[in-house]
Amino acid sequence: MANPVIATKLRVPRLREDTVHRRRLLELLDDGAQSRLTLVSAPAGFGKTTLLVDWLATRKTAGRSVAWVSLDQTDNEAAAFWVHLVAAVGGAAKALGQALPALLPPDQLPGRNTTVGLLNALAALGGEIDVVLDDLHVIEDAALFEELTFFIEHLSDNVHVVLGTRADPPLPLARLRARGELTEIRAADLRFRPDEAASYFADTAHLTLGADEVEKLEQRTEGWIAALQLAALSMRGHTDIDEFVANFAGSDRYVVDYLVEEVLRDQPEDVREFLFGTAALSRFSAELCDAILGRKDGRATIDELYQKNLFIVALDDQRQWYRYHHLFADVLQAHMPPSERDRLPERHRQASLWFEQHGDRDEAIRHALAAPDFELAAQLIERAVPEMRQRRRVAMLRSSIEALPDALVRARPALSIGLVGPLLTAGITEGIAERLDDAERRLRASGDAALREFIGAIELYRSALAQMRGDMRVAEVHAQRVFELAPEEAYLERAGAAGFLGIVAWTQGDLDAAQRYWKDCSDGLLHIGYVADAISTIYARGQISIVQGRLGDAEEVLKRGLALAAERKGYSLPGSADLHVGMAEVDLCRGDFAAAHQHLTDSESIGLTGMPQFASRKLVIAALLACAENDLGEASVLLDDAARLSVGDFFPVVRPIAAMRARVAILQQDWPAVDRWRRASGVEPDLAQSYVREYELITLARHLLAKGDPLAAGALLDRLIPAAQSGGRYGVVAEIELLRALAWDAIGDGSAAQSSLRRALDLAEPEGWTRLFLDEGERCAKLLREAAKGKSGSAFARNLLGAFGVQQPMPRAQHPDLLEPLSDRELDVLRLLRSELSGPEIASELRVSLNTLRTHTKNIFEKLSVNSRRAAVRRAEEMNLLRSARTA
Amino acid sequence: MTTPAAAPATYEIRLLGHLDTRWAERLGISDLTHDPDGTTLLSSIAADQAVLHGVLQRIRDLGLRLISVQRIDPNPQP
Repeated sequence: MANPVIATKLRVPRLREDTVHRRRLLELLDDGAQSRLTLVSAPAGFGKTTLLVDWLATRKTAGRSVAWVSLDQTDNEAAAFWVHLVAAVGGAAKALGQALPALLPPDQLPGRNTTVGLLNALAALGGEIDVVLDDLHVIEDAALFEELTFFIEHLSDNVHVVLGTRADPPLPLARLRARGELTEIRAADLRFRPDEAASYFADTAHLTLGADEVEKLEQRTEGWIAALQLAALSMRGHTDIDEFVANFAGSDRYVVDYLVEEVLRDQPEDVREFLFGTAALSRFSAELCDAILGRKDGRATIDELYQKNLFIVALDDQRQWYRYHHLFADVLQAHMPPSERDRLPERHRQASLWFEQHGDRDEAIRHALAAPDFELAAQLIERAVPEMRQRRRVAMLRSSIEALPDALVRARPALSIGLVGPLLTAGITEGIAERLDDAERRLRASGDAALREFIGAIELYRSALAQMRGDMRVAEVHAQRVFELAPEEAYLERAGAAGFLGIVAWTQGDLDAAQRYWKDCSDGLLHIGYVADAISTIYARGQISIVQGRLGDAEEVLKRGLALAAERKGYSLPGSADLHVGMAEVDLCRGDFAAAHQHLTDSESIGLTGMPQFASRKLVIAALLACAENDLGEASVLLDDAARLSVGDFFPVVRPIAAMRARVAILQQDWPAVDRWRRASGVEPDLAQSYVREYELITLARHLLAKGDPLAAGALLDRLIPAAQSGGRYGVVAEIELLRALAWDAIGDGSAAQSSLRRALDLAEPEGWTRLFLDEGERCAKLLREAAKGKSGSAFARNLLGAFGVQQPMPRAQHPDLLEPLSDRELDVLRLLRSELSGPEIASELRVSLNTLRTHTKNIFEKLSVNSRRAAVRRAEEMNLLRSARTA
Repeated sequence: MTTPAAAPATYEIRLLGHLDTRWAERLGISDLTHDPDGTTLLSSIAADQAVLHGVLQRIRDLGLRLISVQRIDPNPQP
């Protein structure tokens, strides 16, 4: 399922034995290898690839290994590019006797995870490695360059990157240059100097030329190597070399036109026919040449061309695949006589059939389009659509379908619908609705079976279109239709619709429905092997279960997700780290702080990667944990960081960080801060109830209660109960009932307080949800004592009371002299204070703001009774506080 | 003054050396003339920016020396 890796592209090209070794350039490259990046930038035919191959041979003896990729047009999208780069690095690792962790699950689009994974893997390799990307000019995709920039800027010291290109790439070259991290070799460096030209003619081409002739040739070609090679080939057929040089030097013609004509004139008829007949192939083998030329001498001719050095490049060591030098191929095609030109469409068709038979559908499609035989191309593309979709080859899918006449595309609904996904991904909505209607009309005309096959995709795209317009109601209707109309086996479409409906139900607070949809979504995705996507849905299911008050269900589904991630043996699956954060929350609810801490630590272990929201999610749970451990200062710092790192995603925001921060402020009795939050969020007792505001309204009730207004708090809570109940949000119901109990108690109605408390206990007991009560402190303990009384008293209440006795389960044994222990975060800061890093550098290392860092530093100074960084570090060392390094 | 990138315009490209006329078809250009100063003029190229860049890229890939690219104003000021 993975994008096919074309092995020949990862092979360092073979060097001809008679290559001119260019000392001055090899030295330049050697010096350049001290820097981060070498750029070899010059037009075609300047010997870039040859130079690099020659250099790498010397590097190999120096014990370095190499990851080489010869890029081509099909690599101009992330899916193909990173697959090849990862495979090349894998090969280099193997050469070092090591294995690379699996970085790219087959069903996953390469993303920042892949890049980071690759960087880490490179850093972890025991050896030095050169990464070469040749022909980088074929890459144009801006997003790909953004990722490549990130890659280059974060390379470890054992890696050197070399780029071969005809045009300067859109990388931050000026910045790299300024920092001395870039070495450049350009056309002016690469052109043959007169002495090199002389040595080329004498030693490689075995031509005896006078210094005068060499100089004329050098001037006429301006040291352009491709032209000098062509000149050498032409001269072989000439007896009067002086005359040849004079004519050539005196001509105004484009040098390549002039010389190719000369070279071709010297070739026997069958060789000429072979060259013209194969010029349009981006790569060829003897077998393929025989097939399209209807000849049997492919092997012999290729050997002859190679021996004559007729711009043929060997792509592997088995002497199986070859290509022409790009410049030569282009010129051959321009110089093709009319008789040959007429045969070109048929040759492309033959090549297309041959590649299809031999399992290279990309090349088959390319040749069918080049013929052009649109009917054949349409057939091939139609067959490739499901596979291209699964491999996320959006760019390839779009460009190949768009290369067909629109009438033909519309006549084949599979193609017309296949084009919609890539267009929507690119943000193009114009004409899509009409295209979908047109496809549906045609399918209807060809019968129910045809319609059934595609109706799921059509309705799903209609839903997506409505979502992009912001019309959620219409989006929902179309997503529902996917379920009604698409067959059972349309897993991808059904999963897509389920995911969307799951979010709608979640946002509306109908958690039972949300849970059902998300289960359908992850089951469907798993069924068709989209494990990475399934895992990110599993985190959502865990979250929903927690709100439903079903900690057991949450634990079960999260554990299943972790097991799936573990089966993927080290693939970096986005979302696998989030699963640990989900588990930490479950453990926290149950009062198992040690397990919760462990899960937060595990969430950062190697091979796990988070979704974009991960950093913020993790800090939120760490804050809740700090809160439960009574470290309110730490909790507020963590929540501030969480708010800063928070990024939007598709999930509804049902627990705003600002409201969580307000809850901490309530515990700190920091009333001005709570009032600020109320003003900013606009939460007032008469605000209309809705699920997305529920958490804030409960926060408000807590505020009213804490300020001594239990009547107002109770009235608000009463109002919230019915919606929470009908939405199946029993976790919320339990919290509301507990708060109601506290309100009744404050009002003085003991029996009402007990019945509310009893309902909360009944909901929490089966799930072992102890923290709900323990976090409320003494006021709650008093009510529990009442509930535990007598024979019919609640056993759960008695257990909870027992737990009150052993509060603060994690005494931090740091140092007896330390009155107040340092928090984990403060210890992190302290370790970095010991380093050479400046304040802003430490802040960036810890991913906190400078202000947050100052707060931490101030607290550390206070706790250690010091007033400088140096004193703090000395004191910490005396007290042995830094011995156990926590893995950050 | 400014023309949106999407609007096609007419361009002229001048190259060093005489490029064989057979290239006109491969470059998708109808008008290719050799000037006595040893340059080639590709004229009446009706192109939007994407097509223009495509032609320039082909010129780059052939190792041709680019001398100038000029947009021909359809309404020259009197």
